[in-house]
Amino acid sequence: MIRRRWRRRLSSEANCREVGRALQSYLDGDVEPDFAAKIGEHLEKCKDCGLAHSTYKEIKQTLADSASPADTDAVARLREFGRQISGN
Amino acid sequence: MAEPQVDSSTQQAAFDRYVVPEIEVLYRVARSITRNPTDAEDLVQDTMLRAYKAILRFDGRHPRAWLLTIMRNAQINRVRRRRPELLRDPDATMDRLADEDSDDADPEAQVLERGYSAAVENALNSLPEKFRSVVQLVDVQALSYQEAADILGVPTGTVMSRLHRARTRIRKHLEQSGAYLNGRPT
Repeated sequence: MIRRRWRRRLSSEANCREVGRALQSYLDGDVEPDFAAKIGEHLEKCKDCGLAHSTYKEIKQTLADSASPADTDAVARLREFGRQISGN
Repeated sequence: MAEPQVDSSTQQAAFDRYVVPEIEVLYRVARSITRNPTDAEDLVQDTMLRAYKAILRFDGRHPRAWLLTIMRNAQINRVRRRRPELLRDPDATMDRLADEDSDDADPEAQVLERGYSAAVENALNSLPEKFRSVVQLVDVQALSYQEAADILGVPTGTVMSRLHRARTRIRKHLEQSGAYLNGRPT
């Protein structure tokens, strides 16, 4: 889902304030492509915004990596429970 | 008047088609919201039983969203049975329970001992429950905004704002705990 407010903002060049507000939506792939391109250009040129972006990206990646594999024994028990419910 | 006869083979087929493929995701989400493996397993069993009873009324669209909503209702009932006081102010009480569970160790010492990923985990666990749960569901378990909204019973806009605020808090927590040197992870 792309939020309406990020569709409207298509000024010639994104500034730090605009990028700061949209940065996390950008990280989640939740901004319009045109605006995403402007954010990308700004991040390459602006050290502070680029640093903020890489920090959030690192946090998001670390959180994704922290997902432990599902307990296979528990999932197997739940599948068996499902078979019992449905009489398979 | 006799009760309408349930077509058990249709019910069984629908259960196998819509519920069984989601068991692993349901268990992961249950782990996130209960923070306890035994409770998580019980919650998924409860969800599966409810889903089986309701499956013939399900229209077949968005089974994961449907199951997450069932799980949310099951969890609310479980909390109500165990801790009726939680219903008066769920957010405040969940924050208090999270605080009771939180690790009191010095964050800086933890960073030095266990590294950046441990510091992120510590920062996540220090968040109030309403923020932690959104990060767990979206960033750790990779649910969509909509799926997280279904399980939490809040609008997607609330999921997004909580997620953004939570990440900002994590970033600040990491900065304060010395996890960055010159802005980069140590």
